[in-house]
Amino acid sequence: MELARKLRGTNNEGVLALVLLGLIVAMSIANPTFFTLNTGFSILRSSIVPVIFALGVLIVVITGGIDVSFAAIAIFAGYSTVTFCLSAGFDPGLPGIFLIAIGVGAALGLINGVVIARFNLPTLIVTLGTQGIFFGAMYTYVGATYYADLPKSMADLATSNLFDITTDIGRAYLHVLVVPVLVLCLAVGWMLKRTMFGRSLYAIGGDIEAARRAGFQVKRTQISVYMLVGALAAIAGVIHIVLSRSANPRDLVGGELDIIAAVILGGAAIFGGRGSVTGTVLGVLLVQVIKNSLLLVGVPSAWLRTAVGVLLVVGVGIQAIAARRDARRMRVIQDLDTEQKTEQELAS
Amino acid sequence: MTPTTDKRERASASNTPPLKNLNDQLGRVTRRFVRPGGAQRGAGRMVVALLLAMALFTFLNPRVFLSPINLQNIAVAAPEIGIIAIAMMLVMLTGGIDLSLVAIANFSAITISTLHTAIAATNPDLANSLGFVIVLAGIGAGMLGGAFNGFLVSVVGITPILATLATMQIYNGIAIVWTGGSTLYGAPTVLGAIGQAALANVPVLFIIFVITAILVAVLVNRTALGRMIQLEGANPVAARYSAIPTRAVLMKTYTVGGMLAGLAGVLFLARNPTASADYGSSYVLLVIVIAVLGGTNPTGGFASVFGVVLATLTLQVVSSGFTAIRLSSYEYAIAQGVILIAVMILDSVMSTRTRRPPKTTPPPGVATPTSDTSLIRT
Repeated sequence: MELARKLRGTNNEGVLALVLLGLIVAMSIANPTFFTLNTGFSILRSSIVPVIFALGVLIVVITGGIDVSFAAIAIFAGYSTVTFCLSAGFDPGLPGIFLIAIGVGAALGLINGVVIARFNLPTLIVTLGTQGIFFGAMYTYVGATYYADLPKSMADLATSNLFDITTDIGRAYLHVLVVPVLVLCLAVGWMLKRTMFGRSLYAIGGDIEAARRAGFQVKRTQISVYMLVGALAAIAGVIHIVLSRSANPRDLVGGELDIIAAVILGGAAIFGGRGSVTGTVLGVLLVQVIKNSLLLVGVPSAWLRTAVGVLLVVGVGIQAIAARRDARRMRVIQDLDTEQKTEQELAS
Repeated sequence: MTPTTDKRERASASNTPPLKNLNDQLGRVTRRFVRPGGAQRGAGRMVVALLLAMALFTFLNPRVFLSPINLQNIAVAAPEIGIIAIAMMLVMLTGGIDLSLVAIANFSAITISTLHTAIAATNPDLANSLGFVIVLAGIGAGMLGGAFNGFLVSVVGITPILATLATMQIYNGIAIVWTGGSTLYGAPTVLGAIGQAALANVPVLFIIFVITAILVAVLVNRTALGRMIQLEGANPVAARYSAIPTRAVLMKTYTVGGMLAGLAGVLFLARNPTASADYGSSYVLLVIVIAVLGGTNPTGGFASVFGVVLATLTLQVVSSGFTAIRLSSYEYAIAQGVILIAVMILDSVMSTRTRRPPKTTPPPGVATPTSDTSLIRT
């Protein structure tokens, strides 16, 4: 029992891993080409950007908020950095590019954070508004041209692989950018579990008033959270531009809901206070594997949206029903308590 | 409530001088406009905003902005967005949100277009004579979509934002598969005729919008269901203990929301006889902006249909005004976001200002830590 509970995980990570494993096994039986290094590496490569986004969304969701402006921040930060470097005609090197982008992203996140924390506004609606502002500002003030040639350091990064193995069905390569993603996952996981800042995120998500009274700096934490999300989004934006080998201002925006869906599937509670990095990564991988396997089975890619939607309904529906059952069970226990108390009172 | 106050007013009117009576009446009317509680604030605010926007763009470019064609364009473009915004307002009134409304509207338009094309392929006359039935089928498809949302929210118990996020993907995905990602052409000629027609220079589409708004206003303010919707949004726990059938109320709200979205799909086709899966994808944001600007409380309980209608017109005016003074649609996106956030900040500042006095009575900064430590010591 204890072992089963441990394997299941606090946020159903175990169940998610089982579903993922089952899907991979089923797909491998249905179509042997699925179970190859090539597919595995390509799924990992396609998950790089979604995983970074998902980490940011996870942090916000844990505090009980929701951010839909992260994709706009990502493309704003990435695209404006590239524009800046190209128009100034110099290449600050990879660290420089990432630093500029992170600065831009954190600044945009600061706007979100200040508006939300200072005035206590609903996060969904504020970030919907800032999404329009950021996107419109990028087009109006930064530009709308498509850059096919990146600064040299970014272009070089695009073609460097960690592994490059030639198997009997073709080349299998794992992109080097998997490494920073892994580092980010570990860092966010460590921050959530082991730091006071991480604790305060869960506390705010659990009950904002209780967190305030317990002495957490709620407003300051909220602002840092949105800055952190902006920074993470900026990293994802730069990486997206590197991976696609071009800077297209029309990219990324529009896919926000897929990321939020993956995070929720990964066991994070939309009302806050619950969620883990492991679950989130599993959720993103699940969505990516389903995308890949649908294509392999021959389902037209048009069904993809529907599939993600159905997955979300099933995943969240099960959670909702389970939560309701738990609530009922608690009420039964409460009723028993009150019955016992009344009996005791009657006896005395 | 109203009959008794009327009686009292009439009674007082009989034995007070007419001048004082007039003064009282004037005071009542002014008070109703100037210092309205809750939902009325949205309407009052939007009257000012609408007039300001009109004045600004008339000043900046009167020749283009005040041309009859521009005004007519505003009146033709506003209804489809406005009706979805009213649907959004209705759902927000219960404390929920419906992200799938635009997808439902497209779904309805696609249903109508497909049915019409299928029937017209064998018998064009029959297709046109069945136009009304086909339109009803489209609205029915919208209702079905809304009912499924309602089922997920009320019976399964999924948070509205997640349920409608998922159904948005589902409806949109089905629409993409159905149309193959391309644009469908063809709609009943009745719709085209309605889209072109005008009564005394007022487009029929706009009249439909106004009638729909009045019907929803009656539903919200004058029926038992409307009252239950408001109570459910204002305080769900209290509503449950007041024996309000929460599930049925939510189910009906989302179904009506879907029906309104279906009607918006009909208007899509009336304005332009093409249907596609991704038409109006930017409306999702716009509609929430309109609902909130119109005085809808995003956490539920308060809303004003009149405010939403005015907000729709204001944003249409701003949009066409931006075109008149040659600003891009991206600058309009910035304006939308800025207006939304500015209004919400203003609201928040106003409400904290009115609420502050009772809060500051126990000085929070200094007093709490000492009381806390004393509690810990004892």
